[in-house]
Amino acid sequence: MKALESLATTLPAMALSDAKAGGLAAFELLMRRHERMVLVTALRLLGDLDDAKDVSQEVFLKLYRHLGKLETGNLAGWLYRVTVNQCRDARRRRRPAAPGELAAAMLSYRPDPRQNAVQAERRKALEMSLRLLSERERAALVLRDLQGLSTGEVARILGSSEATVRSQVCKARVKVKGFVQRYFGRRR
Amino acid sequence: MNCGDWEERIALYCGGDLAAAEARAVEEHLADCAGCQAFAGGLQDSLETLREAHAEPIAEAHFAAVRARVMGELECPRRPWRRWAWVVGAAAVAAAATLAVALTTHRPAELPARPVEIAAPVKSAAAPELVALRQPAKRRTRRRVVRARAPQPVEPLVVKLVTDDPNVVIYWITGKSGE
Repeated sequence: MKALESLATTLPAMALSDAKAGGLAAFELLMRRHERMVLVTALRLLGDLDDAKDVSQEVFLKLYRHLGKLETGNLAGWLYRVTVNQCRDARRRRRPAAPGELAAAMLSYRPDPRQNAVQAERRKALEMSLRLLSERERAALVLRDLQGLSTGEVARILGSSEATVRSQVCKARVKVKGFVQRYFGRRR
Repeated sequence: MNCGDWEERIALYCGGDLAAAEARAVEEHLADCAGCQAFAGGLQDSLETLREAHAEPIAEAHFAAVRARVMGELECPRRPWRRWAWVVGAAAVAAAATLAVALTTHRPAELPARPVEIAAPVKSAAAPELVALRQPAKRRTRRRVVRARAPQPVEPLVVKLVTDDPNVVIYWITGKSGE
């Protein structure tokens, strides 16, 4: 068991050092190891899969260009930080949503009775509740509650204090609760 | 403290963000307050809903598409370099070959290659057949003589070698044995 744990910590370091040596195959391995983390985070922050794929591409290209400066220990933190920053840039480039747009979308959306897919309902609830949050609140909630990072890690990634992160997460949870209860039309 | 004051702490408690002492205080309040129990239940349910939705797998094709785009971008800058490397390499080989040919065929101007004039035997009518090669340098006679078998009886053979310098003439007289 200890040997397996040792292998699990050694392999990423080897992949990173191989990738630093210029091996594209090693870099692809590194990318496979972190691609879910990057793409899913970007998807939750942006709410659009195509935009999230664009951001993921930018993040990994940036990773390749910065391989020489990276240390094995903080690779995931670096990837999260770059992903959050790239998402912020992508949102700024995007057409800003009209103030009433989200409200209209929420009002017009009704669960499809023929669509007996609980998963689809949950996915929609997740997507729409995240859209209610401010950029900082969304990032804090996604990293803390969905990606499962500690408050300290989230604070380092977002470049803020732990107290700020706790406050943002707290507000975000209360907003999400309100939306989810309204969305499903009953107390959950 | 009214229930509104507990909201923030309950929200943190539901996410596991409170220290042990604070968490115990929240649990004590929840045990006595039905409204806050409902609030905490709603928070936990909504977080659970979001986590379940978040955990749904994303199709592998999306990851593969990103991977392909990244690898394509990384390989692209290398291709022109490889193409130019072939051109540069071929040019270098051609230049080296040209230089090699030039060096092997080049003769210095002061050392013209001239054939050596070989005179016939002075007295003997039965001179052996001689084939002379080029003389490469001034005042330096280099020759290669292919000697035919001399007829018997053999008379002395005289070979006259003319150099570039008209004042220098070399005579080579062989003995009876042709040595």
